[in-house]
Amino acid sequence: MVSVTELLDDPAINAYILRMIGEEGIELLRRFPEGGEHSDEELAEMTGVNLNTVRHTLYTLYERRLAEYRRLKNTETGWLTYLWHLRLDRVHDVLEEQVRDVLEHLDARLAYEEKNDFYMCRNCSVIYTFTDAANWNFECPNCEEMLEHFDNELIAAALRKRIDRIKESLGSA
Amino acid sequence: MSDQEEEALKVIQSHRQGVLQSELWKLLDIDSRKCSRIVKRLLDAGLIERIEFRSDGIKTYLLRAKKRAIDPCIILAGGEVLPCIGCDQECTPEECALLLDWMYQLALEEYQE
Repeated sequence: MVSVTELLDDPAINAYILRMIGEEGIELLRRFPEGGEHSDEELAEMTGVNLNTVRHTLYTLYERRLAEYRRLKNTETGWLTYLWHLRLDRVHDVLEEQVRDVLEHLDARLAYEEKNDFYMCRNCSVIYTFTDAANWNFECPNCEEMLEHFDNELIAAALRKRIDRIKESLGSA
Repeated sequence: MSDQEEEALKVIQSHRQGVLQSELWKLLDIDSRKCSRIVKRLLDAGLIERIEFRSDGIKTYLLRAKKRAIDPCIILAGGEVLPCIGCDQECTPEECALLLDWMYQLALEEYQE
């Protein structure tokens, strides 16, 4: 099995998980004991990560299928114990699902960039479509500076290229 | 598919360049004979491909998944994750400033290449 450290050494996976669970969450993953199942309290004690952070991290990972638990009920007290283990081996599949979900946003943005002409206020750094700029007589509605044509070809081309690469990676080119 | 076959496939998929069979059994913590049987079943199921490979003069095989795992790099531009990933804001991709920033990073990367 690919180790957690190995996965976290991949800059993209690291950045993806960091956005999901933050620095402290990453620390929990790095110190997570290999193998076995552990309660949140055990994990907090073993890793030195704050209990609330441990819980929050585990639930966040669970929502993305990257952690699982087994629930045990104490027959005498009726108390429930949750024993956790990681499923980071699924990270590529989970990431793929998310990328598939957001691909339509990227397509929509590219279509918008391609079908519009843009104007920009150099003072306010605000970009307007041709229609909006024309409505303002090509003057910035905030500072009345003349709007200048904004060439979006470079960013549109970069986005187009990346969308192609994403589709190729997803096998849907 | 058995758990071990599934795990072997995941390991193979996670190595985009492929993984040597002589390494796979160590990664899976099983013996080489068992690994050969698992590899044969994955080959028979058409899930992986096997390419002859010589490592220090010793013949082994490079194993690659036919359905490759996604390349995580596609979500990065200038070290920044695509802002749409995990975004919980109301979505207007056409006017999203975060997405525009990310597109600038992309364009910069292109320019630097």
